[in-house]
Amino acid sequence: MVRLNVDQMSRYVSPVNPAAFPTLSIVLLGIGIFLMSWFFVYEVTSTKYTRDWKKEILIALVASFFLGYGGLFLLLWVGIFV
Amino acid sequence: MMRLSFFCIFATIVFVSGQDQDGLINSNVERTLDLVSHLPKEIISVTIENRGTKATRYYDYYVEPQHVNNVAYVGAIVKGKNNDDQGNLLIKQETTDKTKGAVYRIALPNDLRAGQTIALEIEVAHINALRLYPAEITQIERQLVLYKANPYYYSRYTTQKQKTTVTLPTDRAESYTQTPKPVAKSEQTITYGPYENVAALTRSEITLHYENNNPFLTVSNLNRWIEVSHWGNVAVEETIDMYHSGAKLKGPFSRLDFQRRPDSLSAVKTFKTSLPASARDIYYRDEIGNVSTSHVKEMQDQVEVEIRPRFPLFGGWRTHYMLGYNVPSYQYLFNKGNQYVLKMRLVDHVYDDQLLEQVTIRIVLPEHSRNIEFYPPPYGVERLPNEKHYTYLDTVGRPVVVITKRNVLFQHIQDFEIHYTFDKFMLFNEPMLLVGPLFGLFCLVIILVRLNFSISRNEGSEARMRVQAVWDQVVENNLKRTGFYQKIDDALNAYKANKDLKGYNEQRKKIENELKTVQQDLAGLQAKVKADSADSAEKIAELQRLDTQQREIQQVLSGLAEKLVGNKLPKPAYLTQEEAARIRLREINARISAIINQY
Repeated sequence: MVRLNVDQMSRYVSPVNPAAFPTLSIVLLGIGIFLMSWFFVYEVTSTKYTRDWKKEILIALVASFFLGYGGLFLLLWVGIFV
Repeated sequence: MMRLSFFCIFATIVFVSGQDQDGLINSNVERTLDLVSHLPKEIISVTIENRGTKATRYYDYYVEPQHVNNVAYVGAIVKGKNNDDQGNLLIKQETTDKTKGAVYRIALPNDLRAGQTIALEIEVAHINALRLYPAEITQIERQLVLYKANPYYYSRYTTQKQKTTVTLPTDRAESYTQTPKPVAKSEQTITYGPYENVAALTRSEITLHYENNNPFLTVSNLNRWIEVSHWGNVAVEETIDMYHSGAKLKGPFSRLDFQRRPDSLSAVKTFKTSLPASARDIYYRDEIGNVSTSHVKEMQDQVEVEIRPRFPLFGGWRTHYMLGYNVPSYQYLFNKGNQYVLKMRLVDHVYDDQLLEQVTIRIVLPEHSRNIEFYPPPYGVERLPNEKHYTYLDTVGRPVVVITKRNVLFQHIQDFEIHYTFDKFMLFNEPMLLVGPLFGLFCLVIILVRLNFSISRNEGSEARMRVQAVWDQVVENNLKRTGFYQKIDDALNAYKANKDLKGYNEQRKKIENELKTVQQDLAGLQAKVKADSADSAEKIAELQRLDTQQREIQQVLSGLAEKLVGNKLPKPAYLTQEEAARIRLREINARISAIINQY
């Protein structure tokens, strides 16, 4: 393989500006926690005759996305660069 | 007299021609021997002349056999040129000859043809060359060292003219060899020479015994940890084992004397480390925890950390600490498509005149990096087999490139390069490792609530739950129903204003169809709940009846409006009839609400 020359390459910057880590983690985790609580409230208040699995899966999926990304940015914010 | 001079000329001819094949001679050598720090540094300015017939490409630098293991660095540049636009000349270490010493073959920038001259500046750093004499001192004594050197430039070639200047740290020299003449001392410098026509490989010895209280710091082991994250960060951590390599401390250590009198000359109280200018989140800690006695000074081109260990270091004392920091990735990481290059210093500055006896560098690349290639700086390093490192959100482990090198000096602070391939989408691997398990947890809850852990089946509560579920749907349907009636009313009002009968009829038909489905739903629910609760079924049936009534009244209302618009009904009569219908509607709504609110 030909050795690449650094001068012809561009400097690598993070896909997300590190200055936005705190805001992102707070906003995403906030939404995520809201969705998660909605999910659990729904689970405990509904009976087996009223439950709708499509609705449950949808809330769970959206909540886990928000919590996952929020958690990742929280890790990055506190200095755990994964 | 004639015969003697003839002999001299003859001897010179024999000497010059028979000396070696290259026909090189050192026409002028100026050597400075810098003994200020604990690492003697030699800078040799040598003018080389080709007196042979053939052009040559190389110049050999020799190290005396007794110093072979003490030479940690040999570098050469062409003198006279601007230092910035020329790199160091390529140097290759040849096999060591037991009697002649080690050979470093310096590649000249271009062929040196017969009769040409070139001026080189060779820099040589010696380690472990100083002997502490005495080897043990008390707290308040001064540190004396003994250094043995060759007053002549040790070379494979004849040297026509040479001079050696020794620089001492202070002007106090206990003793120094006064031969070969001429020797002159003025304050801190001692000059040996000039000497003329010194034969090749001439060896002699001078001994210098002088005071040196400069920090004798040596790092016995340095572990440098470089962790690359594609989220925009390069983390660096250095774990350092350091000791005072000067004269050992004899007798007790008195903290009182140390604090009160400023004469603990050989002790190292503090030293400075330079970090890159973009270093952030700097930490300095040891086994106990954070060492608060340190200062960080941000400067234009570097961040200076003043490190003050928990105790002063005396001869033979050691300390262990960690120094870490983060730098943004754009400083050192470059990319083009999937190709990434990490270009940064293999080792960094620890303290001035550093001697790092054993250095291990571990470079942790992101998970799933492929095609890793390491390009060392222009000196020999040893690459050990790759390792795997597991940390947060890792599955298959991060590849670790391990490099070791012995005897690293300030001169070895140079860049290495690591080339690797990393697929951009793998960056989403890490958030997915959080999202996936969380979703799994939710799914577990979804399954758990569907499991029945009750010991006996309670038919009563089952029926109640079923009825409740039906009523939830009834309430929902009722909401829809009222919404539709509201829409019909709105359409009616609009018709009264714009008199568009066709549009109104269309809209009404549409809404009435919707209402029909609601009614069907309610009928279905009624049938469903019949088995569990006849009472609920009766209530729903009543809802249906009330709804039918409401629909009739709504039709009456719309008929009235049509008459009004068609001028078949005078306005006052319309108003009274409408009012009556509205009162009935209100009654029906009140009854519906009463039924709904029971549940």
